[in-house]
Amino acid sequence: MSEVRIEHVYKRFGKVTAVNDFDLVVKDGEFVSILGPSGCGKTTTLRMIAGFERATEGEIYIGDACVSSSVQGSFTPPEKRDIGMVFQSYAVWPHMTVEENVAYPLKIQKVPKEERMKRVQEMLELVHLGEYGKRYPHQLSGGQQQRVALARALVAQPGLLLLDEPLSNLDAKLRESMRFEILSIQKKLGITVVYVTHDQSEAMAMSDRVVVMSKGVVQQIGAPHEIYTTPANKMVADFIGLVNFMDGEVKGDRVFIKGTDISFANSADVSGEAVIAVRPENITMSLSGGLIKGVLEHRFYLGDAVDYRIKVGDHDVRVIEKGADLHKFKDGDTVYLDFEQVMIFARD
Amino acid sequence: MGRINSKFLVIAFSVLMLIYFVIFPMGVLLYDSIIYNGSINFENYRNVYSQDVNWRALTNTINLSLLVMVASVIITFPLAWLVGRTDMPGKKTYRTLLVSSYMIPPYVGAIAWVQLLNPSVGYMNNIFKVLFGLEQAPFDIYTMGGLAWVLTLFYSPFAFITISRAMEKMDPTLEEAARVSGASPLRTLLDVTLPLMAPSIFAGGLLVFIAAGSCFGIPAIVGMPGNIEVMTTRIVTYIYMGDVDGVRDATALAASLMFLANFLLFFMTWVVGRKDYTTISGKSTRPNIVELGKWKWPAFCAVGAYSMISVIIPLGSIVLTSLIKSMSKPITLDNLGFDAWIPVISSSQYMESIWNSVVYAVIAATIGTLLSLFVAYLAVKTHVKGRSIPDLLTVIGGSTPSIVIALALVVTFSGNFGLNLYSTMWILVVSYLVKYMTMSVRTIAASLSQVHISLEEAALNSGANWLRCCKDIIMPLIAPSIIAGWFLIFMPSFYELTMSLLLYGSDTKTIGVLLYELQTYADTQNASVLSVIILAIVLIGNLILNKLSKGNVGI
Repeated sequence: MSEVRIEHVYKRFGKVTAVNDFDLVVKDGEFVSILGPSGCGKTTTLRMIAGFERATEGEIYIGDACVSSSVQGSFTPPEKRDIGMVFQSYAVWPHMTVEENVAYPLKIQKVPKEERMKRVQEMLELVHLGEYGKRYPHQLSGGQQQRVALARALVAQPGLLLLDEPLSNLDAKLRESMRFEILSIQKKLGITVVYVTHDQSEAMAMSDRVVVMSKGVVQQIGAPHEIYTTPANKMVADFIGLVNFMDGEVKGDRVFIKGTDISFANSADVSGEAVIAVRPENITMSLSGGLIKGVLEHRFYLGDAVDYRIKVGDHDVRVIEKGADLHKFKDGDTVYLDFEQVMIFARD
Repeated sequence: MGRINSKFLVIAFSVLMLIYFVIFPMGVLLYDSIIYNGSINFENYRNVYSQDVNWRALTNTINLSLLVMVASVIITFPLAWLVGRTDMPGKKTYRTLLVSSYMIPPYVGAIAWVQLLNPSVGYMNNIFKVLFGLEQAPFDIYTMGGLAWVLTLFYSPFAFITISRAMEKMDPTLEEAARVSGASPLRTLLDVTLPLMAPSIFAGGLLVFIAAGSCFGIPAIVGMPGNIEVMTTRIVTYIYMGDVDGVRDATALAASLMFLANFLLFFMTWVVGRKDYTTISGKSTRPNIVELGKWKWPAFCAVGAYSMISVIIPLGSIVLTSLIKSMSKPITLDNLGFDAWIPVISSSQYMESIWNSVVYAVIAATIGTLLSLFVAYLAVKTHVKGRSIPDLLTVIGGSTPSIVIALALVVTFSGNFGLNLYSTMWILVVSYLVKYMTMSVRTIAASLSQVHISLEEAALNSGANWLRCCKDIIMPLIAPSIIAGWFLIFMPSFYELTMSLLLYGSDTKTIGVLLYELQTYADTQNASVLSVIILAIVLIGNLILNKLSKGNVGI
């Protein structure tokens, strides 16, 4: 299995910098997700690790081998990188049977036929497709094709597995079960994984660590709970989970909600303009009393929760209460809010 | 109820029209070919193919078409790859250039190559003679090789279009998956790219095969002077004999050619349509551009050289010839001018032919577009049983070799079956409709299918009746494609040669026929002037077409 080191990697397309100073070490056997909105450079980063794009600057190491170096001008083509990859579009070859698809990497390595077939069968059983070896891809469902792609990527026992939005073409239910399946296979084989996705819940649920990217720049690297509870900046807080933002003014060591005398400790040491952020589930609401006064404008009944909109001065504040009683409040009520786990960010 | 009936009437009318003018004549042709002395047998075929010259024409046609097919695929595949999948500079211009010989009438191309490579005074031969101090001309266009050369240059765009379309549609991650599996770029090409493209390459090749085998203009101008006969030229020779025997022999040859072409076409449709061969819909198709690195400029030069040879040099040669004052003097600036143009433009005979062509093409295009609209609407927008039969009939018409259509119309509409169109302009118009309507049906059907049913339903909901909805919603939305469809019939009809040559009468000579006569009378200069006029009109037509369809449709 391989450690992956990406050191100060840049990718420029003409004048556009798609990836800007990307720096990351993926430990041996670790599952790391690169998460970000579309066009943030996450797929470009993955394609540089795979060898489909050449880094404009910087070094990439897979295991002990330097596969891409702008200083030495060296570049290892994808077929010599000892990696497996799963694509968003499955990329299962339609002119080969399932067996032939999965056997292909071993065929290239000239593994003798008997051993090849044995390993292919093992792999197909691992992805629950043991009976489907003789079928053609067009006879399989999308989820099954995706599992063929996974088997093909793993059959040669590569040191590193790359996954490029592998679940985004599947329907919601299948997506959840495939998450678990991929994760259990990864734990079983102990393989290093770099996983690209724009789906935050996917990244949170599966990864040891998450890399959040935006506009080509790494915003934060950390374990899922770190990213959620202590986002590094406004972008990360906004992209992951739900959040209320309020303009804030720094006065002394306190940050005031603009136009009010309500203030919080300046935990981020921001000067000048600040943003106050609080997640909807970290707000408690009551009719009797609290820190901030507002008017309940609307309630959305979600079944397992109630989603409220509260007018506080010029701000619309969103509050989510799990398992709440819809009739506890009614529209037009004057309510009082208490904020917990308040986050302070610099304005961008 | 009334609407269903009117739809039924329209479908019945268009089916009957198409059966009468497309299927019936072909049936008559086939029937005639197997009637000998009043009974059904294969005596005609035996007679025809017992003559060496016809047998040779058949083998020549097959050999030539095979050669042209293979050469086209070999030339086209790398071209399509360079233009579609690499960072070669000038890709867009090259794409236009590489498909542009598609819009040049084939016989004009043939005339150009005769000017360039004929062994006595060919421009290119002369240049080679001077450059390398040769005694004799290095090339002779009047050979099998010369014929194959011109056919390849003019019909390889069929393969280019088919192959590059398939290349663009292929999901690049299919190739990337092979690379991460450990395959080198070459191995990926062999194991993944080629097998996946095989049906399209095969289809493109067969289109070239059929087009080359059905072509009359090029073999007539390049092959006949060197006594190289192919099926199409034999058929015309027999018909020009003018007697009953000649027509009977021509019929047997034409029926063989029709079988060959249609059989191959259906075979092709079957191969391409096979399910296990369809390339999977790549859901995230991002153009995967191969960086050529140091090969960038060599590739640019190679494709540039090919474009020069296939398009620019032949066209330049024709323009040059049309501008020479005296053919017997060397080409200098003093010897250039518009002198040769004056007699052409002032000749009432020439102008009449041009006018005829314009009028017939306008009539064919107008009737054809109207019929295409019916046919396309029926196929795309209704659920009537048999709605796609008219569409299929136009496809059959389009895929049948021109020479076969012409002969079928001659034997059918010379009065034997009530209607006598022979020597009238209408037989020309009908032939153009049969051959070219399918293109406009395709175009209009494609844009009609883009008009979602909900747009019509929204209009009906807003209180418009069905006719009002057609006028306010459907027509404005598909107007560009209707005009495009009109031009797609107008242009090939305007410069049509093969069918016109068999069907024209003394008052209905067209520009194609006139040009062919000039070339066979060795009046190279007037032929060049006329060619330039044709090219100019076609070019203008294509510019309009391109503008209207935003580059999606062109000949």
